[in-house]
Amino acid sequence: MTEEMHALVAAKLEEVGPSIAVALEFKVDSYFDVVRGLIDDFAAKKDLICIYITSSVPSATLNGALQALEINTTGLSFIDCISYSMMGQIQRTDNTVFVESPTMLENIILKVEYFSRMAGERKMMVVVDSINSFAIHNELKLLSEFMSILMNSLKMKEAYPVVLAIPDQLKPEVREMLGMVCDSIIPL
Amino acid sequence: MAKKGDRGRCLIGIEGLDNILGGGIPESNIVLLAGGCGTGKTTLAFEFLVRGALAEDSSLMITTVESQDKMMSNIPKFTFFKDSMLVKGQMSIVKLEELMEEVNVSPNKMDEASIKKLLGAIGKLIASKRANRLVIDSIDTILTEIKDEALAAKFLSELSVILYKNECTAILVSSAHRCDGIEGRVADGIIMMGNLERRGDMLRTMQVIKMKGTSHSRLKYIIDITPAGTLMTPLLKGGS
Repeated sequence: MTEEMHALVAAKLEEVGPSIAVALEFKVDSYFDVVRGLIDDFAAKKDLICIYITSSVPSATLNGALQALEINTTGLSFIDCISYSMMGQIQRTDNTVFVESPTMLENIILKVEYFSRMAGERKMMVVVDSINSFAIHNELKLLSEFMSILMNSLKMKEAYPVVLAIPDQLKPEVREMLGMVCDSIIPL
Repeated sequence: MAKKGDRGRCLIGIEGLDNILGGGIPESNIVLLAGGCGTGKTTLAFEFLVRGALAEDSSLMITTVESQDKMMSNIPKFTFFKDSMLVKGQMSIVKLEELMEEVNVSPNKMDEASIKKLLGAIGKLIASKRANRLVIDSIDTILTEIKDEALAAKFLSELSVILYKNECTAILVSSAHRCDGIEGRVADGIIMMGNLERRGDMLRTMQVIKMKGTSHSRLKYIIDITPAGTLMTPLLKGGS
């Protein structure tokens, strides 16, 4: 079942193609299978730069977990929006930039632009992890505007924008917003 | 082909800002870059010069506060900056104090004669470097020393003539929070930098207040200074 999940994620993304904003809905216990599918089975195999925006788990923790699971982290960059808020130790690496708070939404857009410029001509996948967490920190109107701008700018760049969502913990109005800013919501 | 009276544009090199200005600053204009502490004025002005050097313009900075070494150590490391720009003279950084010493002008006695000498020295420097980009960081230091408002206005308008003659586009850095002072009135353009506090978050902002000869956006933008240069995006309003 687990092996099927990460292959399924890659297959779904392959099916929709670039410039389509996708929301992936899954149960929380499938989290690492989904992430494996995104990073290992999809981005790495397509030689995509993967920009991972994390607003719930610090990048150092996440990176450590991915390496423990032997997920290929080459080409993976983090925009870490949570480490500062958690007052944890900031571990600076070449592939991580920090945004002081998940409420500094414009700065997240600018960090994506930064990685995009550094990537040059290479295609990219941008993962928003997760809409649930961003909804905790932000007012819905502001979050909607942010998601709309981010998704549209990524579509213009022919990137693969992916939003992670845990539907059981999602308020109806947030799910409705997700439906507006994403072209496709894929339940897994 | 350009019509008589048409003026070219000096590309700042910051993509978002050039887009707002319809292709950059009108050539030979003076732009006041104003804002409080920590808003990114010096870095943005420095990027303007580096981007100029990259585009084979000749860039000149007159600094009133820091030495070249100190300034260079405080500026973020841009991936597109090369030390050779300074070595080869594509970019020059001159301390105002040294320029004043050369023409025997004392900062404590900025009368009409001293101002004339200082302007002469600046003009000579621009001409000798064939500078088509100039930054004075900060103009406040000079204007504060001049004290007399009429003389300060004269200094700025004569500087404007020198720049126009030399086809040099200038950014004057100022820590003023408002733009209705003499420098704001004389400048052809004003870009305001700021710190916006939103629910405890501090965001760096930029807004073009005026730019003569240009139809431009007056939106407030959030900026981020990165090794790839200054990036900007409109301030989110959240439907408010």
